[in-house]
Amino acid sequence: MNERAISSVLIAGGGIVGCSAAAALRKKLPAVRVIVVAVPPPADALADRIACTLPSIADFHHDIGLSEADAILRAGSGFRLGTRFEDWTQGASYIHGYGDYGRSLAASAFYQHWLRANAAGEAAPFDSYSGAVGFAAAGRFLPPEKSPVAQLSNYAYGLHIDPERYCMMMRAYALHLGAEECGSSIQDVHLRDDGFIDRVTVDGSETRADLFVDASGPAALLRSRIDREWLDWSELFTCDRFMMSEEAVQSDAPALDQAIALEQGWRWEASSPFRRSSGLVYSSNHLSNENARRLLPGATEVTLKPGRFDNPWAKNCVAIGDSAIAIEPLEWTNLHLAHSAIDRLVAMMPDRDCNPVELWDYNRQVTAEADRVRDFVLLHYAASKRDEPFWDDAVSRPLPSSLQHTLTQFRERGRLPFYEEETFARDSWAAVLIGQGVIPRRLDPLLDGVPPKESLRAMEQLRSAIHAAIAPAPTQTAYLRNLALQENR
Amino acid sequence: MLAQTSLNVVVVGGGTAGWMTAAALAKLLPNACNIHLVESEEIGIVGVGEATLPHIRSFNERLGIREAEFMARTRATFKLGIDFENWGRIGDRYIHPFGTFGRGQGEVDFHQYWLRMLHEGRPVDELERYSMACMMARLGKFALPSQDPADVTSTFNYAYQFDATLYAPFLRSIAEGLGAKRTEGRIVDVELDGETGNIRAVKLSSGERIEGDLFIDCSGFVALLIGKALNEPFQDWSKWLPCDRAVAMPCRTETAVTPYTGVIAMEAGWRWRIPLQHRTGNGYVHSSAFIDEQSATDALVAAVEGEKIAEPRVLRFKAGRRERSWVKNCVAIGLASGFLEPLESTSIYLIQAAITALLELFPEKDIADADRDEFNRVIDLEYDRIRDFLILHYHATERTDSEFWNYTRTMVIPDSLAEKLELFRRRGRVVKYREGVFLEASWIAVYLGQRIYPEDHDLRADLPNPDALQKGMESFKGEVIIAAESMPDHLGMIAQYCPMAA
Repeated sequence: MNERAISSVLIAGGGIVGCSAAAALRKKLPAVRVIVVAVPPPADALADRIACTLPSIADFHHDIGLSEADAILRAGSGFRLGTRFEDWTQGASYIHGYGDYGRSLAASAFYQHWLRANAAGEAAPFDSYSGAVGFAAAGRFLPPEKSPVAQLSNYAYGLHIDPERYCMMMRAYALHLGAEECGSSIQDVHLRDDGFIDRVTVDGSETRADLFVDASGPAALLRSRIDREWLDWSELFTCDRFMMSEEAVQSDAPALDQAIALEQGWRWEASSPFRRSSGLVYSSNHLSNENARRLLPGATEVTLKPGRFDNPWAKNCVAIGDSAIAIEPLEWTNLHLAHSAIDRLVAMMPDRDCNPVELWDYNRQVTAEADRVRDFVLLHYAASKRDEPFWDDAVSRPLPSSLQHTLTQFRERGRLPFYEEETFARDSWAAVLIGQGVIPRRLDPLLDGVPPKESLRAMEQLRSAIHAAIAPAPTQTAYLRNLALQENR
Repeated sequence: MLAQTSLNVVVVGGGTAGWMTAAALAKLLPNACNIHLVESEEIGIVGVGEATLPHIRSFNERLGIREAEFMARTRATFKLGIDFENWGRIGDRYIHPFGTFGRGQGEVDFHQYWLRMLHEGRPVDELERYSMACMMARLGKFALPSQDPADVTSTFNYAYQFDATLYAPFLRSIAEGLGAKRTEGRIVDVELDGETGNIRAVKLSSGERIEGDLFIDCSGFVALLIGKALNEPFQDWSKWLPCDRAVAMPCRTETAVTPYTGVIAMEAGWRWRIPLQHRTGNGYVHSSAFIDEQSATDALVAAVEGEKIAEPRVLRFKAGRRERSWVKNCVAIGLASGFLEPLESTSIYLIQAAITALLELFPEKDIADADRDEFNRVIDLEYDRIRDFLILHYHATERTDSEFWNYTRTMVIPDSLAEKLELFRRRGRVVKYREGVFLEASWIAVYLGQRIYPEDHDLRADLPNPDALQKGMESFKGEVIIAAESMPDHLGMIAQYCPMAA
């Protein structure tokens, strides 16, 4: 290692994000000393508090060497295959299941064939061609690597975690990998003349490091000391308030959670084997806090300020999680964005000088990813069809040009243009668009080469093969019990 | 949703671009269009014997073309990459392979481990020794790649070197078989609609008038429709890519029929060497600002290795592209849309990219802005990324032996390239894009091949035990060489698989 190399990293934040960053850094770059200041995550740090996570969490665990037994059994997590969206378009519901819908036929994506069959009145619901949705509907579960369904139409799953237990597990793992804990509150941040952070005062004593990771939540205790150039998204998002409550339960956790549109926002219900979480996301312009409390009594309340740092990484301080990007929890992207930032940090670790070109590449990727996640979340509002004032407000908000581009292309001919650093795959976009009743004006021209009867036959064969392959799979509870048995053997 | 009514498509120009477009439309949109191609045998085509990229294989596949037949008909040879000589310094040589370096190591790229060994002063071999495509090329061997990802012979890809003047007629027979109509004749006038500015018809010297809904301009450099009739401006990139002439001269093949294209840096540009089954294509791409045509021709004649088959002929061009390739009801494909010198064999690829985009965005009679805009966005991206990759070859040099190289070495490069270069210099990182033709291994090959050495490497590459890593690299190198040596000779493979008709 050269003498310019980063030899120590200080992480501000003792929540899931901070502990996950500590574990990943220790695992991948064991020569680097990692000091965690265990600042407790505040109520508005959604990446540290939201129970639902995306499929990328399984890759993250795998990359840092966490087994299913640790990440799922010991942490009390359950499997989740997608979200059921209710009433986003008056009275209708659809499911956004993870992974593919059907399988490409000839030169066209599956959803294009579906659109043609649907126009002819011959297609089954779009959901019914998804392996993830099929498993959820049947109340069964197997991970793709253990199920023949994945060969027919690949699917994916995320986790429903118990945030507190999960955080304890991740903290223990980070410490096991050699991360050091040092205090739990930051009193002061000292900058050098060149604007870099020199040291921080932690519980009265001064601590130095080469690089500082800010995982302290929206307050951005460290990062905000360097600059406050923040891209404000409040013009784009209608919702600005958030409430959440959790309770202990014992259940056969359903593999789908629900996101139900309300008159002035939306609420969710989600369950892991031992916890149930409920939440409410709304606009204070359309619903008073008092009335919101009546809808969800006893909940934690938080104000949302959607947006992101222009450059999440500046000088020798990188913001990760809600300190970098604040977005409402719809589609559960908060922890995903943090994991993705941690992966990039590990992969792109610069020298102590934090050369601008290296930060430029990091910021380019992280902000491209955040902006497309923003687009995907906004899509649900842009494509909603309800007639209350809140929803009128939501659909009349300005759209980012990238989302406008996607919508124009899809409405015209069902095209989904590709963007770099996209989190949600093409079929996820299609699931939401089709689910919310956005039907293209024209068909994909390349369908021209495949007669409709032929593609319909292939679609139906695929659908029955998927459902036949799901039938013998165990229930989620049985699968978890089995996992525990194997673990104890 | 409305059903498509079929469109009358007029393709102007019957070179490689014209017939590729006509064949693809006829095959893949059988009901959406009626194709009418106009070409003039008087004009002739530019095609000088083409080197291609692996993407052409999927194009041929979509058209249902059998590889062996295609290769025999176009007198093609296999191509595993490009051999660059004298670029970083005179005497340097490296291959840009169609394939990867090393075996997939998960998230950290092989070249990072290679750099780590280098930085630790451990013995490592040249990077090309860890590439299947490079070693096959060096040994003059060829066999089709394996489909099994565990097999080392699955780690390369290939393209062709072929006679482009034979590819167009081959595609013509396919297009005509699928119902495309062809008219022989020279276009003397283009009739525009006074109100919309759309092209209404083209008029031939015979007096015939051909109407259409959509016009594809494949007329080459003259850009008869998009340039002359519609006046779409041309974005000039010659300050970064100063070559504007090529002198071409085929010769008999007297030395090896190599499974790769040779690209040799010269005093004021570079020389290609493209071996086909029946001859070898040669040419000197140069900048008229730094060398006159006669001196360039003399230098080419002196350098070619075999008996000449034809007199040298000169082609003139300018690097750049149309501001928009789709304007009104006219889509420019091929040289009419833009020109990037053949250094990385991208011209047929760009034709193919435009055809793919046109197929996906094929319009209705009333063309939607959404179709045009998206087409132009996609095509611009392709041009811009190739542009940066080409500029890199000229800029990353230590040559000081001529005015030409002094210019390209010191010129101001686009910011987008400067950032990429700096990132690689620091830690061997390649800016990754999922879209765009040249992927990571291509950039790595050219950076390292032209002496851009990173000061450091990805820290994650420090993780494995160095002795184990070294052993793994040694054994991979062994696997590569054993696999390459056991393959048939390139010429033997051709003789057995796809010999041209005598």
